[in-house]
Amino acid sequence: MRTATRFISLLASAAALLTIPATAQAPVAKSGPIAITGGKLLTVSHGVIENGVLVIADGKIAAVGEAGKVSVPAGATVVDAHGLTVYPGLIDPDTTLGLTEVAADEMSNDLSEPSDEIMPHMHTYDAFHAETELIPVARLNGVTNAVVAPAATDSVAGQDIFIQLAGHDRDAMILGRDVALAMNYGADQRRRGGRGGARGEFPSTRMGLITQLRQSLLDAQHYEADHAKKSEAKEGEKGGDKPSERNLKLEALLPYLHGERPVVIGVYEGYDVESIMKVAQEFHLKVILNHVTHTQEILDEIAAWKVPVIVGPIYDFPRANERFDAVYTLPAELAKRGVKIAISSGEAGGPGGAHSVRNLPYSAGFAAAYGLPYDEALKAITLNVAEMFGFGDKLGSLDVGKMANIVLANGDPLDVRTDVKQVYIDGVAQPMVSRQTRLRDEYSKP
Amino acid sequence: MAICALAQQAPPTDLVVKNATVMTASHGTLEHGSVWLHAGKIAGVGATVNAPASAVVIDASGKWLTPGIIDPHSHSALDSDINEATSPVTPSMMMIDAFDNRDKALYQALAGGVTTELLLHGSANMIGGQAVVIKNKFGLSRDAMLFPNAPRSIKFASGENPKRVYGSRNQLPSTRMGNFEVMRQSFEDAKAYMATWDAYNAKVAKGDKTATAPKVDLKLEALADVLRGKLYVQIHCYRADEFLTEEAIAKQYGYKIRAFHHALEMYKVADKIAADGTGIATFTDWWGFKDEAWDAIPWNAVMSMRQGVKVALKSDSNDHIRRLNSEAGKMIHYGGASEDEAIRMVTLNAAWIIGVDDRTGSIDVGKDGDLVIWNKDPLSTYAHAEKVYIDGDLFFDSTLAGLGTPHFSGAMHDGGGFGSDDEDGEDGER
Repeated sequence: MRTATRFISLLASAAALLTIPATAQAPVAKSGPIAITGGKLLTVSHGVIENGVLVIADGKIAAVGEAGKVSVPAGATVVDAHGLTVYPGLIDPDTTLGLTEVAADEMSNDLSEPSDEIMPHMHTYDAFHAETELIPVARLNGVTNAVVAPAATDSVAGQDIFIQLAGHDRDAMILGRDVALAMNYGADQRRRGGRGGARGEFPSTRMGLITQLRQSLLDAQHYEADHAKKSEAKEGEKGGDKPSERNLKLEALLPYLHGERPVVIGVYEGYDVESIMKVAQEFHLKVILNHVTHTQEILDEIAAWKVPVIVGPIYDFPRANERFDAVYTLPAELAKRGVKIAISSGEAGGPGGAHSVRNLPYSAGFAAAYGLPYDEALKAITLNVAEMFGFGDKLGSLDVGKMANIVLANGDPLDVRTDVKQVYIDGVAQPMVSRQTRLRDEYSKP
Repeated sequence: MAICALAQQAPPTDLVVKNATVMTASHGTLEHGSVWLHAGKIAGVGATVNAPASAVVIDASGKWLTPGIIDPHSHSALDSDINEATSPVTPSMMMIDAFDNRDKALYQALAGGVTTELLLHGSANMIGGQAVVIKNKFGLSRDAMLFPNAPRSIKFASGENPKRVYGSRNQLPSTRMGNFEVMRQSFEDAKAYMATWDAYNAKVAKGDKTATAPKVDLKLEALADVLRGKLYVQIHCYRADEFLTEEAIAKQYGYKIRAFHHALEMYKVADKIAADGTGIATFTDWWGFKDEAWDAIPWNAVMSMRQGVKVALKSDSNDHIRRLNSEAGKMIHYGGASEDEAIRMVTLNAAWIIGVDDRTGSIDVGKDGDLVIWNKDPLSTYAHAEKVYIDGDLFFDSTLAGLGTPHFSGAMHDGGGFGSDDEDGEDGER
């Protein structure tokens, strides 16, 4: 959320190099078949299997079912998971992983491009730092995939990537480029010149933000029509000029104007949601709402739009004189109304966004504590996220044919007390180490 | 702003909570235990208690009972008056002067089971101001919320924040060298001030009628109180080398450091600091927000505890203060703390940091009736506080409609922000 700082330091990059990994993130070599036996399988898609067997082959889930009903292939490495819970890798729908290292160190940040408010041509893949120390930290708690989005400075902040938290290099870790357009609307995008500042620049009000956005979308439509006309027209005919120079900014908006990919709109207040949805509907955008933490009065309206919602941070503060659980109960209230929900790892005012991704399961657990059915809570950080961003056939549940992103833990994945024992990504057992475990081990020596 | 407390009944003279899983924080967990409160104090705890027949009895079957949660590092309810960031040495700032007892952050913390808070000055200054200790009796008057006779604490800071705040203005300090020299000079000034007063007092004692009293200087007086050992010194400090420097300066000038706050690198030198008797109030798992938080590891609390350091967890945040119970649960995950050790980090050890561990922080006979009934295991992700008692009186009840605050009505204030150390500098850092 709001983590911009002006402080510059050179310390971090030097300190980061405790060891130099041979690949960007962990080994990627495929191994032979693996059979995980005896564990409690939380399949997400088809219930719980108390004593299950899951077979991994060629990086995919080859079989899943009750013990005795699934044959373990000859030569498979057998992993005894008795007493452990086995579940699909968690997916965080809203992070800045790889766009920041030390939050206060501006030179390590590529969070947003604030020079203009309409920046659809900013591609997070251009900044994604595959070697970030933050990824192993998140991976250790069972997060295997994430959406990386620019920070919320701009009305149209740029385009997201969908990443795998392991891989040989940057390209291997990016499963999807430009998977969604990150948009934002509300008080934070106004150009007000600092906290409550009166000396703003355009757009310094919500009226300005909406006008500018609408104009940009119209410009993109005009640009497309103009280009189509010019390329169709024959030489010598009226309008037969050569197509004008390409405008990457306007072109970047076109797939979203065609409804080919989703726009993720970060918006907090109910009346702001209503305003921005008017624009989204006018231009037939395929919307995923994000945040909506102060929309208690329009939940039925949100449900009627039939748009998926990334709800949270669940820890966002209620207003003065609101009941303490006004935000905690939102995931449950939305799910009850049939809304497909996802949950992100954000915190209210904490460092958030990237460093706290490891706390993703606890956000979902907190939603469960306040009325969200447990199965829905788990789905909100696995299958629902995969489906929202176009990976529903590849990730998010324990089903045959899906990528073998699997987590083994010593208990309930959503409980703070639970320890993750092993993470598989693409069927490969990941080393359960991070810069932090290395520090722990170094200073634990007698 | 007048406070209009609801018309209400006095709390029962005798109250018994029975059949609860009682986490005492001092002597383990009792299954199906009972706790008796008499006149606001804990009068009995055990499988049975000898309460009179007239006692009000609450059946807490299937529920958990803990001491009230204590936050030894909060900046709640101070509006944006957390830092007097106009000088690196401001020891006479009194946080009580900024305390807004109707701030919504107090209510939200209360709903998370928090009964006692240490409200600290921020970390902009090497020597900040003097803290206020509150009992979270939300809805009562300002004075009624003060923790009676709590020790005085003063906030010091070190590292990046002071050097950033003053360095950005091209003032001293802009480095760690500057930081510590500012401190040393301040204590030299305080010593000279004390000597002036000692000389005067000696003359008066000898009957010298011509002696003129030196001027009272609030700043130097406060520093002198540090040297006289009258203030608990609470130091915002991240790095291992700085713990060592702070301890050396404390020894040089003859005061004790009660606790290092944040203390994210304590695991590197915990054995040394344990020997000095200094505790820590630390985050569970925040890291990487600035350079001096780059070596933070979530095992810090348990590793330091195993080396003999008294460890408390704290919020430094209007967010985390609402769920310190499940933050404590993380210590089971990160380092294998026992349930007893984990709950102690947000109750008894936090009380020790503040210096009120003889009055609250555990379920023991004679202590204040500060209790929380939880619907589920408070160390899990899933618990919420159902009832919160302070001095035997019910201040929060989630089963009530509306806010669930028997003592509060009217309008809350919104101090804004996240209640962190120096967000007033608009960077939200800790």
